[in-house]
Amino acid sequence: MFRQSKRRVAGRRNFDERSGSSSGNFILNGTASEEEKKLYESLYQSRLSFYTIPPKGEITLEQFELWAIDRLKVLLEIESCIQRNKPAREMELIVKPLLQKLLPLTTDDLEIRKKDYYSHFILRLCFCRSKELRDKFVRSETTLLKLRFNMLTSQDQAKFVKTLNLPFLQFISDEEKEQLSTELYQTISGALQFQLNLTDENQRRQYFNQEKFIKLPFESVVDLVGNRQVFIKKGSAYLPQFQQLNHIANEFSSMLSTALLKTSQNIPRLNEDDRLLPILHHLSSGYDASNFVLQDQFGNASQGEVTATSVYSAKIEENFPLCAKNMMNGLKTVHHLRYQARQQLTFFLKGIGMSVDDAMQFWSDAFAKGGITTEKFNKEYKYNFRHNYGLEGNRINYKPWDCRTILSKPRPSRGEFHGCPYRDWNVDKLTLELSQGMKLTQTQVNSVLDNVERTEYTVACTKVFEMTHGGSTNVEINDQTHISHPNLYYERSRQLQKKAEGAAT
Amino acid sequence: MATQTLPPGNGPSATDMQYYYQHLYPFKSVFQWLNHSPKPGRDMMHRELAMAFRSGAYKRYNSFDSVQEFKAQIQRSNPDRFEIGAVYNKPPRQMDSLLKADMKPLEKEVVFDIDMDDYDAHRTCCSGANVCSKCWKFISLAMKIINVALEEDFGYTDYIWIFSGRRGAHCWVTDRRARQLNDIQRRSVLDYMNVVRDRNIDKRQNLKRPYHPHLMRSLEILKPFFVEIILREQNPWQDDAVAFNGLLSGLHDKVLIEILKKHWTKNSNRTSEQKWQDIDNLAATQIKHTSPLKKSDYFNRLRECKEDLVMATLYPKLDVEVTKQTIHLLKAPFCIHPATGSVCVPITEAFTPSDAPKLIKLQNELESNENKVERTSLQPFLHQFQQFVNQVVKKELSGAKREREEEAVNDF
Repeated sequence: MFRQSKRRVAGRRNFDERSGSSSGNFILNGTASEEEKKLYESLYQSRLSFYTIPPKGEITLEQFELWAIDRLKVLLEIESCIQRNKPAREMELIVKPLLQKLLPLTTDDLEIRKKDYYSHFILRLCFCRSKELRDKFVRSETTLLKLRFNMLTSQDQAKFVKTLNLPFLQFISDEEKEQLSTELYQTISGALQFQLNLTDENQRRQYFNQEKFIKLPFESVVDLVGNRQVFIKKGSAYLPQFQQLNHIANEFSSMLSTALLKTSQNIPRLNEDDRLLPILHHLSSGYDASNFVLQDQFGNASQGEVTATSVYSAKIEENFPLCAKNMMNGLKTVHHLRYQARQQLTFFLKGIGMSVDDAMQFWSDAFAKGGITTEKFNKEYKYNFRHNYGLEGNRINYKPWDCRTILSKPRPSRGEFHGCPYRDWNVDKLTLELSQGMKLTQTQVNSVLDNVERTEYTVACTKVFEMTHGGSTNVEINDQTHISHPNLYYERSRQLQKKAEGAAT
Repeated sequence: MATQTLPPGNGPSATDMQYYYQHLYPFKSVFQWLNHSPKPGRDMMHRELAMAFRSGAYKRYNSFDSVQEFKAQIQRSNPDRFEIGAVYNKPPRQMDSLLKADMKPLEKEVVFDIDMDDYDAHRTCCSGANVCSKCWKFISLAMKIINVALEEDFGYTDYIWIFSGRRGAHCWVTDRRARQLNDIQRRSVLDYMNVVRDRNIDKRQNLKRPYHPHLMRSLEILKPFFVEIILREQNPWQDDAVAFNGLLSGLHDKVLIEILKKHWTKNSNRTSEQKWQDIDNLAATQIKHTSPLKKSDYFNRLRECKEDLVMATLYPKLDVEVTKQTIHLLKAPFCIHPATGSVCVPITEAFTPSDAPKLIKLQNELESNENKVERTSLQPFLHQFQQFVNQVVKKELSGAKREREEEAVNDF
C-alpha cells in the first residue's frame, strides 16, 4: 500500500509541473492582469504557499535585489534562532515582528504575495550551489513555513491543508482510537502540555477525546519518530491532528530539496546573464557570514603562530573555548584521546593555524607520554590525522566543526573528552570550572547555568566569553556577536589579546 | 610484526583462515541473503564488500557477480575478516573509473551494534575484552528489548542477531522497508531506539514523563532483571565511591542525597540491594513534608528517578555510528574473530559466548569425521542461518509478485 501511494504522489508532482509549464506564459507585463490575479489566488488560497510553480513574470532588477534581501533578513533571523536552540514559541516572538515588516502575508494584497513568491524563488537561485547552502536554506524555509502556518487561523490552516492534497491524510476510526487510547494518550500528553499549554490533566483528557488521529507510514514523520513524539505500531505512525504540520513540513522540505538540486544542475545556463550573478553571489556570501570570515583567516594571519609546542603556552591556550580546553586537559592527563575528540581537536587546531607537520609532532609527542611508540603511532593514528588535513583518501579539506556539528555528535561517555562541556558536564563540575577556573562571580555563574538549563549552550559560551574578556566594560566586546563556532571564540579572543599587547608596548 | 596486534596463541593463522574459507564458510547462504534471491541480481552485484587484512590494510569497494566469484576472491585474498556495506547504483568495483559523486548508496540492511564496553560502568564480573555468562545477560536483555520494538513498533519481521566474535552482537534487519530507509530515516529509527544517550553515569537521565509506550514497555521488561542482574549479580554500588557517583547522582533531592551519603559513609560497603532499599527507607523516615499532596508528589519523583536508573543501567546501549549511515560497513556473519578465533554465528537470546564454536575445534572435528561439515558443531548455526535466508528470499519473491499485480491493477 505504502509504495503504491508513494508512486501516486510522484505522479501528481510531475503533473503539477507539466501543468505549470503548459499554462506558463502568463504575466508578461508588470500590471495586475486578471490572469495574474487568478494565478496568485490559486497559489495562495490560504495565505500560504507550497511554491510548486516557478514564476514566469517580469520584475525590475531593483525589485529582484530588494525582495531577496528582505526575505534573506527573515531567514537569517530564523537561522540564528535555530543556532541558539530557541524553542518554537520564543522563535515566533522574535521573528513575527520582522515578518510583519518585511514579508507580511496577512492581507490578500497582490503585490505582497508577489514579493513573497518571487523572493522565495530568487533565493532558491542563490542557495542551490552547495550542499551546505541548500541544507541551510531548506531548514530555514521549512521553519518559516511552520511559523506562518501556526499564525494562521484554524480555518485557514484547514483550507491550506486541503489544497495540498497530500497522501495519507486519513483519520483512524473511533474503534481503533479506543483500542489504542492508553498508548496514544501517553504519547501526546507531553506535547499537549508543552506545545498547547494544557496544564490541567482534565483539559488534556478532553482535548484528547476530541482529537483525531491520522495513520500513516512512520517514514513520513521521521522527526517525530526520532524524538518519540508519536506512537508507532507495526510500521504505522499515529499522528494527532495538531501535529500534522510536521508531516506537511516534511513534505515541503523534501519537495524543496529536490527542486534545489534541479536548480543547481540548471544554473550554468544562467551564466550568460551578467546582471544577476553578482547579486546572487553577494546574497549567498552574506548568508554564510561566520564561516566566511573564519575561512579567510585560516592559514593567513595566524600562520606559524601555533606550533606543536607553542600550543601549550598560556598565550595561546588562554584563548581556547571550554571545549578545546577540556580536550587539551584530557590529553595532558591520559596522554590519549578517543576518536571523536581527536577529530574535534585536530580540526580546531587546524582552524587556528597549526600546520600538518606540527600536528603530527603534537599528537605523537602527546601520545608518546602515554606509552604509544612512534611505530604504533605511525601505524594506527597517522593516517587519521593526515586524512583530517586532506592528505589521504578522499582528500577533503575538512572545516573545523562549528557548535552545531559538535552538538550533533554522540555525547562523550566515560573517559572521553569531546563534545560541549556546557551540555555534557554535570552542574557541579561546570560550576567549579566557572567559579574557580574562570573566576566568575556567583551571579555570573548562575546566569550561565540558566542558559545551560534552557539548553542554550552557545549562548552560555558567548556569555562566558564576554565575562572573561572584560564584560560590558570592554567596548570591543559589545558587538554582541553570537559565538556558534569554537574557532570564532578563539579568533576573537586572540584578536583582543593582540590589541591588548599592542597597547601595552 | 603481524602477530604483534594479536594476543599470543589465540588467533587463527593465515593458513587456518584459508582452510576455513575453503571448507566451512557458507558463501552460498550469505550470497543469497544479501541478494534476496537465488539468482544473482543487483542487490548482490552492486553490493560493497570490504576486506580487512592482518597487516592492517583495508580494501574497500569489492563486489562479486556470483557465488563462485565471491568464494574464489575471498579465498584468494584470504582476509582476516570481511565486511558488508551498501548496495550502490553501480557495481562498487567500478569505483576507480567513476566519479565519486556518481556512486550513490541505495539500500542496506538496518544494523544495530551493541558492545559490552558500554556496560563497563555497571559491570563488575569482568572487564575489558573478557566476557562471561553473567555479563552476557546485558546483551541478551538488549536483544530482547530491541526485538520487541522491531516487531511491535516498526513491524519488521526479518532480522537476525549475529555474535560479533568476542563481546558484542550485531542485529541485521533485512525487511525491504528497512533496507530502503535513507540516512535521515535511519537516524530517526536509531534515535527512537537509543534512549540512554548520555553515558555519563554522574548525570541524571531525567527522561520525559509520561514515558513513551516504547519506554513503558521496555521498563516493564527490564524491571525483573534489574534486581537479579544489577542489584544481586553485578552489585556495582557496593563500592561506595561508585554509589556516590553513579547511584546518588540519579536522585532528584539534594537533601536526601546528603542523608544517604552520611548513612553510607558511616555504614560503608553496604550491598547494592541494601543501598537501593535505603533510598526508600530513608526517604520515608527522614524527609518531612508540609502536606500529603507534597509527600505523594515527592515519592512519585523518587519512583521516577529509580525508573530512570533502571533504564540507565539496563536499556540497550547502542553504538550509534554503525546505524546512522547507509554506507557503514559491518563485519559479515560467519567471519572469524581475529583475536578469539570464535565464529560470528547467528544467535538468540539464549546464547552465551561459550556456545560459539572456535575455528580450531571445527578443524579438529572436520579432520576426525572425514571432512563432513554437517557433523561439525557449526552445523546448527548454518542451519539456523539458512532458515532465515529462505524466509527472506520467500518474502522478497512474494513482495515482488504483489507489486507486479498492483501495477497491473493500476495500469488497468
